[in-house]
Amino acid sequence: MLFGRNKISRRAVLRGAMAGGAVVALPLPRLGAMLNGNGTAYADGKALPVRFGWWFFGNGIIPERWVPSRTGVGDKWALSEELAPLENVKPWVQVISGTAIKVPDRAPHSSFTAAALSGADSGPRTTLLPTIEQVIGQMINGGTTFPTGLHVGIGNSGGGTEIGDTHSFSGVNMPNPAEFDPSNMFKKLMPFASSATGKPTTPDPELLRRQMVLDAVSNQASNLRKRLGMDDQQRLDRHLQGIQELQTQIMRASGPKVSGKLVDPVVAHPNGGGPGSLSRERCQAFNDLLVFAMSTDLTRIFSYTFTPAASFQVYADIGLPGGYHSTYGHRGSPMGAAFATEGMNRGVRFAIGNMGDLVTRMKETPDGAGNLLDNSCVYTTSCTSEAQTHSPLDFPIVVAGKAGGKLKGDQHIRLIDDNTTKVIYTLYTAYGGTAPTFGKDLGQVSSGIPEMLA
Amino acid sequence: MTTKRLLTDSLRVAIGATLLCGCSGEIGPSNGGPGGPGSVMGGGPPTGGPPMGGPAGGGSGGSPSGAGLLNLPSGPLPTNGLHKLTAWEFANSLHDLLGSDVPLSPVEVDTLIGGFATVGASTVAISPAGVGQYETVLGAATSFAFADATHAGAVLSCVPSATTDAACLTSALSAFGRRAFRRPLSADETTAFVNLATTISNQMGSSVLAGVQHAVWAMLQSPDFLYRVELGAPSASDGGRLKYTGFEIASRLAATIWGSVPDDTLLDAAAGNALAAPDGIRAQVQRMIADPRAHRALAAFSDELFDAFALSQADKDPSFTAYTDTLRAAMLKEIELRVDDMTFTQKGDYLSLFESTTTFVNKELAAFYGVPFTAADSDFHRVDLPAGTPRVGLLGSAGILAGHAHSQLTSPTSRGKYVDTMLLCRTVPPPPPGVPPLPDHAPPGSTVRQVMEAHRSQAQCAACHAMMDPIGFGMENFDTTGQYRTTDNGQPIDASGTLDGVAFSSLAQLGSAVRKNASTGPCLVSKVYENALGRLPIDVDTAALDQLITRFNASGHHVDQLLVDLAGSDGFRFVSPTK
Repeated sequence: MLFGRNKISRRAVLRGAMAGGAVVALPLPRLGAMLNGNGTAYADGKALPVRFGWWFFGNGIIPERWVPSRTGVGDKWALSEELAPLENVKPWVQVISGTAIKVPDRAPHSSFTAAALSGADSGPRTTLLPTIEQVIGQMINGGTTFPTGLHVGIGNSGGGTEIGDTHSFSGVNMPNPAEFDPSNMFKKLMPFASSATGKPTTPDPELLRRQMVLDAVSNQASNLRKRLGMDDQQRLDRHLQGIQELQTQIMRASGPKVSGKLVDPVVAHPNGGGPGSLSRERCQAFNDLLVFAMSTDLTRIFSYTFTPAASFQVYADIGLPGGYHSTYGHRGSPMGAAFATEGMNRGVRFAIGNMGDLVTRMKETPDGAGNLLDNSCVYTTSCTSEAQTHSPLDFPIVVAGKAGGKLKGDQHIRLIDDNTTKVIYTLYTAYGGTAPTFGKDLGQVSSGIPEMLA
Repeated sequence: MTTKRLLTDSLRVAIGATLLCGCSGEIGPSNGGPGGPGSVMGGGPPTGGPPMGGPAGGGSGGSPSGAGLLNLPSGPLPTNGLHKLTAWEFANSLHDLLGSDVPLSPVEVDTLIGGFATVGASTVAISPAGVGQYETVLGAATSFAFADATHAGAVLSCVPSATTDAACLTSALSAFGRRAFRRPLSADETTAFVNLATTISNQMGSSVLAGVQHAVWAMLQSPDFLYRVELGAPSASDGGRLKYTGFEIASRLAATIWGSVPDDTLLDAAAGNALAAPDGIRAQVQRMIADPRAHRALAAFSDELFDAFALSQADKDPSFTAYTDTLRAAMLKEIELRVDDMTFTQKGDYLSLFESTTTFVNKELAAFYGVPFTAADSDFHRVDLPAGTPRVGLLGSAGILAGHAHSQLTSPTSRGKYVDTMLLCRTVPPPPPGVPPLPDHAPPGSTVRQVMEAHRSQAQCAACHAMMDPIGFGMENFDTTGQYRTTDNGQPIDASGTLDGVAFSSLAQLGSAVRKNASTGPCLVSKVYENALGRLPIDVDTAALDQLITRFNASGHHVDQLLVDLAGSDGFRFVSPTK
């Protein structure tokens, strides 16, 4: 048994260090003890939380190898070559193919990224509407410890695009930059994780002092705000929002801990490479942290940028030399077009394999009567369809997860030339959204895809 | 996998396809759509501005000059007065306030707009996660700075000995706050911070130093520190025009010249109304550019002008074994030192850098360049490149050459686009939508240049690529890491091209063409102006820029004088550069 009579310091536990050096496995999430009889809601009748995130990979796909050859449900369809890594989660997966980005390709790789994630065009270093996880977060994530969500970045080699390398936005000029170092995310979550001994830790007096400091900061900010024009006030308000979220986090860090498996990434995944390196292990390190945060309800939304739009990342982990964008996306490899095409394909499969790792972890995580994937949705897309021509057609979209029973799984829907925004509009409605339209200008839609909904 | 020399037939096609071929044949808005703000290197105007091909020849009657060469777009004057500290302003400020040895972990990444962090910092909001990062970084920094009385004594004007030492506590926090907020604290503000310090000091197990540390932590987390607040006030003597106050001028001067907070001398000048008129401002600038702190700000500007970000992203194939991380850092430093030397030491003609064969190398860079390095240390030293060297001028700096090239091959288009946007202030339109794959019409065994010639034979591609590719061809004697070469895939390199009708056939001649180009000086002035004001220049800036360009030319292109003139100009002293 793990705990025995040995006294283990909280710090040692949270570093994952133990008598045998193994990572500590902590009790299952508390949700199990608080459910109603058949595990479909909390004992007090409140609905179980649903979660949402998007998962983005740059440089698009090879449509002929991405689009499943048959449409339908269950046995009627099979995963394509580029989606094959999702085999073990197929029952939760919907592929929506054939849709088209209607926002013009004004800024290459940028306009389409913004359209796929927000239903609007991009501007300099921004989307023109909030990205979908923030929109859904407004509806479901307000009361959590991390209301703005958690934002993961894996590959840090950018694409030189108008939108830049951050793809999550809470509004115009309101980016949510990704975290590239899993150790930093671990430190962020650590104050809320319980100790292995189960005994309450003594309250940290510094937490109270930090609150006092932040109160003084808030006062200063409120006074400053009065002097500012509207645009400046909006930016200061976002800063103030950050202070409020920080104060909530400090307050909750003083309170009861959550229980759940918080893994120190340095211990569990020591060979992932440094921040910015594109490796399966680094993805897994973040997957552990995201799953912890979601299953313990510290947050309900996330964004995950595997590679940014038009990324020139070198896919060293799968032995592909050269910047991916030019060498494979645009078939520029000195080894010839055939090699470049195979490299392109392998890169897509690598990306989807890593997305598959995340949703598989979610599937394997108990949540309520089912699992975390039952109660979540992960929306996967890219900055283009066919990479060589920057095509907006047959845009890559995969949706994984049942969103607490609101979404179907195990189907391939093909809608030729429908506006891609319909997908995120459908997801928005599945999470409770009621607005009659979604998106902006040519990206706007007024109807969704009913076949996606359960 | 050594692939440097393996340039197959299909590669030729592929390279062509790589080059994001195609823009409208006309120089003008395509399909009525906006030109687009462009990419990381796009120093061009915001959405709605017309794409610009470059000035119409030289010397013909009625051709644009001065600021007219910059083709400034029209647009509303931004009214943002809240300028977030850039990452380097934040670090410099903390080092000046808390000591140069204070540990600092990173804060939220800057947003570069038009290549400059100050421009992004005027419009982009910090995320909630970023606010948390500030708290963490500043907590560690202040804990270090107030760890004991000795440390605290290096930071504070007075170190309170006990919580009852109210006078000392008040004066210490008041003096520190004046520097941190770049203005005197109000009585209420001082009281609030003193109360915070006192309350925490009096807690069980606490101390007066802990109280001070927390009060300073609060000051440094306040938006009054983290943002420069520059709003202006109506000036009666200027017809009610919004003029920056003395303390706001101090804030702007310190940011522009030092990349940091004002010192007490500058704040005293503000308090004494010495910054109300250009003469007083210029006097302070003279003092400030003689201070060591000026070198940091110029280095930060140089890094952004010469696209350090692109270099940081420019990973190369592992077969380029000399291209280490330390070499890359040295490449950046070389450019910083060249600019610094001309500005502060030589006090000479900035444009001469484009023809200069004097540079700065450390041991690793010297080896890379193939020049002798006799010093025993690993520092940078001035070196005169050998007579007849092909590596002439700033464009021969490996950092520029490597920063805009692929992992194995050069990219004349990328190199040319960099020069166009950051050194000549031209807008290159993005490619039109739906770029088709290119047909294979390049012969096998050809050079990168030859492939791109074939590429430019397509009318829809040619107009824009004609802006970029020839400049890049002038740099083709340097491979993707900036290493000199005479052949490409076994063929001799043809480095010829024209820039606004001026022909060149080598990097040296390209450098001369850039030096003599009418846009180069005005563009540098415009970039300095943009970086200082934290916004992209628009048409209302024309007169202010014209004046600065005229003075820059008259001074012999002296950057130190440019800083003095900038600080005294209407664009710097008033919210709007025109009445």
